[in-house]
Amino acid sequence: MTILRGTRAWRISLRTGEFMDRQPDPADVPDEIIDHIKSEENWTLLCDQWDEKYPANPVHEHDDNDGE
Amino acid sequence: MTVKTKPVPATLQMFLLDKAKKRPERFSLLHPQVVSSMGGLRDSLAQATKDTLWVSYEKDLTEALLKTVLGPPRSLGKALLIHALNPLSIPALTSCFKRFASASNKDFLPPDELAEALQAENSSDLFIGGSLDPANQTITLWRGSLEPLTVPFSAFEKSGDGIEPDFDRFSVTDSGQTVRFGDYEAAADAVLYEFDPEYRRRVSKERQKSERTFGASLRRLRKQRGLRREDFEPNVAAKTIARIEQGLVQRIQKDTLNSIADRLRVKPEEIETY
Repeated sequence: MTILRGTRAWRISLRTGEFMDRQPDPADVPDEIIDHIKSEENWTLLCDQWDEKYPANPVHEHDDNDGE
Repeated sequence: MTVKTKPVPATLQMFLLDKAKKRPERFSLLHPQVVSSMGGLRDSLAQATKDTLWVSYEKDLTEALLKTVLGPPRSLGKALLIHALNPLSIPALTSCFKRFASASNKDFLPPDELAEALQAENSSDLFIGGSLDPANQTITLWRGSLEPLTVPFSAFEKSGDGIEPDFDRFSVTDSGQTVRFGDYEAAADAVLYEFDPEYRRRVSKERQKSERTFGASLRRLRKQRGLRREDFEPNVAAKTIARIEQGLVQRIQKDTLNSIADRLRVKPEEIETY
């Protein structure tokens, strides 16, 4: 998923929950936004929507069950 | 949120050919000199350099500009022509400007987003507008640097949820980060990654570099040891490990680093070598 603000974009992996790029600086994204995105309800919704949109490349198949 | 914008270089000179009263203020980020008459046009031409940016919403002023340029071909900089264009003017525009982009008003970003995209550090990675060619089934997307990227319609495949691109409803949005065809959306970076080998090379290199961060090293080593983030507790919270791996912690406390290293059975300074 991607957070867009103006001309900048932060990509977050729906498989690992990690920021995918070092620039723009992940630290510029407020914790409140991260918490909102990663709430169980919203995260599930995002993953489900991704899988619906890209059925050939689902994110759920790649869970590595290590508590992430 | 902290918003970082690139300061407009002192040397950037922009002329806005526009008779609309309120639009120029939406370009305030670029500090344009507004030209709305023939007299102003002559003055602007006298000041123009090869680095000047011209943005024109007025076909008659663009045509007057071409008529006013006398003598041998010269570079007046770059031009963004946001109006209908006479195809016969293209050779003259090519000889006057080192680069120019053209499309109708509705096919460019709105003025405030356009100004933001033109001055952005990553302007060449943003699409400020585009021109569709239904006969050849292609779209030429204009980057913030005014370089074109021509892409076949076939690149925009139906998405998994059944949404198909409607090429009659083209627009660029999100300050140039998204290309839309009706309800269908494509990310600018995805389009660039697919069709611009130079962009692909640059991004791949950056991503490989990102993977060499401390957080990425920690994650690799943790996985190698077969540990979960919770396995660092109680000394270090799983949430802290997650934040370090995500690059959200700029300075790691010495005690935290030592605890992590102990659990991973390495010296603290060795973590980033993984």
